Amino acid sequence: MASVTTPQKTASGFKISRRWLPYVLSLPALLVCIGILVPFFTAVVYSFQRYRLSQPWARQFNWGENYLNFLYDPAFWNTLKISLIYAGVTVVLELALGLGIALLLQKRTRINNFVSIMLLMPLMTAPALAALMWKLMTNPGFGILSYLASLVGLQNFRWASSPDTALLTVVLVDIWVYTPFIMILLLAGLRSLPTQPFEAAALDGVPRSFVFFRITLPMLTPYILTATLFRLLDSIQQFDIIYAMTQGGPGNTLTVFQVEAYLNFFQSTNVGRSAALMIILWAITYILSNIFIKNWLRLRERARGEA
Amino acid sequence: MESTSLLERILRGVALVLVVVFFMFPILWIVLMSFQTNETILSVPPSVIFSPTLENYQALITGKLTTAAGTLDIAFMRNLGNSVFLSTASVLIALLLGVPAAYAFARHKFRGSEDIAFTLLSFRFAPPLLVLLPLSLYFQKLGLSDTYFGLIWVYQLICLPLILWIVRGYFEDISADVEYAYRIAGHSWFATFRKIALPLAGPGIAAAGLLAFIFAWNNFVFALVLASADKQPVTVGALAFVTASGIQYGQIAAAIVLSIAPVLALAIYAQRYLVEGLSLGAVKG
Amino acid sequence: MKSLELKNIVKRYKTHTVLDNLSLTVAEGERLVLFGSSGAGKTVLLRMIAGVIEPDEGAILIGGQDMRDVEAEDRGIGMAFQNFALFPHMSAYDNIASPLTVGKSSTSSIADGVGKVARLLKIDHVLSHHPKALSNGQKQRTALARALAGSPPLLLLDDPLRNVDAKLRFEMRLELPRLLAAQGATVVYVTQDYKEAMALGDRIAVMANGTIRQIGTPEVIYNAPADIEIARLFGDPTINLLDVTPKSGPDGIYVELSDVQIPLPGMPVSVVGKPCVLGLRPEAVTFTTVPGSIPVTVEAETPLNEKTVTLVLTARKREILVSRPAGTPGPASGAATIAVDGSAAFLFDKTTGARIESMAEYRTNGEAA
Repeated sequence: MASVTTPQKTASGFKISRRWLPYVLSLPALLVCIGILVPFFTAVVYSFQRYRLSQPWARQFNWGENYLNFLYDPAFWNTLKISLIYAGVTVVLELALGLGIALLLQKRTRINNFVSIMLLMPLMTAPALAALMWKLMTNPGFGILSYLASLVGLQNFRWASSPDTALLTVVLVDIWVYTPFIMILLLAGLRSLPTQPFEAAALDGVPRSFVFFRITLPMLTPYILTATLFRLLDSIQQFDIIYAMTQGGPGNTLTVFQVEAYLNFFQSTNVGRSAALMIILWAITYILSNIFIKNWLRLRERARGEA
Repeated sequence: MESTSLLERILRGVALVLVVVFFMFPILWIVLMSFQTNETILSVPPSVIFSPTLENYQALITGKLTTAAGTLDIAFMRNLGNSVFLSTASVLIALLLGVPAAYAFARHKFRGSEDIAFTLLSFRFAPPLLVLLPLSLYFQKLGLSDTYFGLIWVYQLICLPLILWIVRGYFEDISADVEYAYRIAGHSWFATFRKIALPLAGPGIAAAGLLAFIFAWNNFVFALVLASADKQPVTVGALAFVTASGIQYGQIAAAIVLSIAPVLALAIYAQRYLVEGLSLGAVKG
Repeated sequence: MKSLELKNIVKRYKTHTVLDNLSLTVAEGERLVLFGSSGAGKTVLLRMIAGVIEPDEGAILIGGQDMRDVEAEDRGIGMAFQNFALFPHMSAYDNIASPLTVGKSSTSSIADGVGKVARLLKIDHVLSHHPKALSNGQKQRTALARALAGSPPLLLLDDPLRNVDAKLRFEMRLELPRLLAAQGATVVYVTQDYKEAMALGDRIAVMANGTIRQIGTPEVIYNAPADIEIARLFGDPTINLLDVTPKSGPDGIYVELSDVQIPLPGMPVSVVGKPCVLGLRPEAVTFTTVPGSIPVTVEAETPLNEKTVTLVLTARKREILVSRPAGTPGPASGAATIAVDGSAAFLFDKTTGARIESMAEYRTNGEAA
């Protein structure tokens, strides 16, 4: 027996006990992330302090004061309101559009596949750069959209520079960037549905509206839920598009959570308030992400099962 | 559906055209603009017929912009270089750290492994400024505030969870028996990892790496908070460029084109994996 | 070749106990078949021996040496998997060569080793193919060749014929004993097929619910099954099982079938009046014309290759299978009579399922113990 090996001497060089191996493998990744967890706890501490970068000597714990102040702070309520409106409006519109486009592209024809690949381009454009593109397009001097608006009688339509239309403009950019995300998720979902129920319904002459509401939609629900939660989580934290477009302006029209926190920190150097804002946003996303992860796991389990 | 009426087919066609116009037009318009002089851009009504010029790109690439008021330095190429370096280095490090961890999570269900994996995933969903603002103070103290190292470290927040969760799925898809067979044949776990697990998960690792690259490239807020002018990537650089050059619209358009082109090319190239990557493996493309 | 010893192995997954205090010894050069239905714990046990799963309790000794801290790659084992587990990105040649590439072997000695085992398994013409391009049978042979290539002193075969078609399985069943004998290794062979177990095993260990129910030579398992379950698993057609209550007569213990007395020689008196199950192999039942036999009605007849199986019903509608060599004359349809060889019958305790030993057996076993 040529290959009888004794356990003491071995040809394999790398020797780590099998009990420790997984820890050794994941430790470097964990160490890098722990460095990132520290500032999280720092942020919690800051949120309970009066802390202005401009007045470091006055720094002291004021416990819940930053949070309590929010109750009587119209700027905070404005932030909460505008964040919720932004998230709600973008997600609803993107969901409706994304579902519509996915249904439009459902059949696997060459042109449909081509269009669905083309639609990846807005999604892969950096949101901050997308905002700049739209800023150029809405420029009052030469912007093509301003020109088109004037053609339909909207002279002097000021897009993001006017408090009345700033929200509309950034929502439009958000829709441009993120509708394809919902579209490709739902398209993958639609194409993975079993075909038998649809064939049976077609044979029986069931009306198409009935098929859509009673078969397609229920079967697509897990995908819709995952896509919606995913977008909701991102959208309530939107920063790039709004900051690149208007820096939260005009005035405080678009001071959503992250923009407000950024301005608090760097312009008014109010670290305490900024941290408290972020903690509140974190609490909201934490709840949302827990719901999301449950759904996502179920869907992932299913996708793995099919593979 | 054989019963589609002519009217329906026309409506579908119109809808499809509208979709393509809405999503493609901005990119097309910016590309056209990048080949125009400022005079053409400012002419009203806008026209699609013009004689294209390369001077915007020329100005960006040489870094010198000659205007009536004199020459202006443009740091845009440096931003582009920063983007390439930051994204590449971040992805390579994330792969180096994330692939072994993904393997550990996929193959060895050790105590607390799921909790750790979920903690990493939750980074993906936490508001970035929550961590970034205190971190900017720390970075000043540690002397990391103006370094590539600091930025690359923070970019792991984007790259690591993505790579960990996508690659883990690919490792889980490899039959454990195949790896057992190689070990029993007399090879160490490391040889097994290198010769069996890595090649079989290869496409997934490549896809996750590409996607992480795209997300790192597109990131804005991390560099906005932490990077000084000479370390800024294109996303932040382009915004600064707009503020600085003000009315050089042709160059701004060209800068945007140069900034998004590499990523769009990668995305088209890797489109097969995008669906799976974007949903962290929840939906197969 | 090396001996294998398992001592009090316990393995639990959460609350479910997969292996329950299992002990087993395999002698050097012995071919042991682990037989049992799926979920009995055979595969887990095999992986534990290979070193890719750790036992919760107990010890594994290979060649007398404790394997507690010995990694899978250092155990000197060859293993073939039920699902083949070929490396999909390597050619058949590289698959088979994988046990030979450990350490510093020369390319030519590897080529010699692969060539030898490939010729033995008749796959030398497909060595350049990747697994995807191999037929199922070729995959199975490649997997086997890979397990054999390193001439391991201990060979673990996890139901290697499970996923191949019937014809191939038949061929391999004939070929494997010769191959394994030539290998000169200690073999643990897992299967769910009793014919395979009978054909390949020096001994058979019957597993159920994480324990070994019975271990012995194929003859012992067939002729002296430990309980009803094992008697039912071995034998085709399956054993006839009839509820009976033994009685005592002047000529010893007997049971009654359709009022005909069947003597059970050598049975202890303690079985009298106890609810029992009579186990009758179909070949222990014969058609006869001798008066005083059991009257039955012939229900159906199934000719198999080497035998003919007849289903008959007794007066009380109890089903009995009768087997006779093919070509021998059988009964016409309708009424017939059968005789039962009481000395070849088993008697099982109805409540525990255990076989009741004859007094002769009891005596020898008692002495042995």
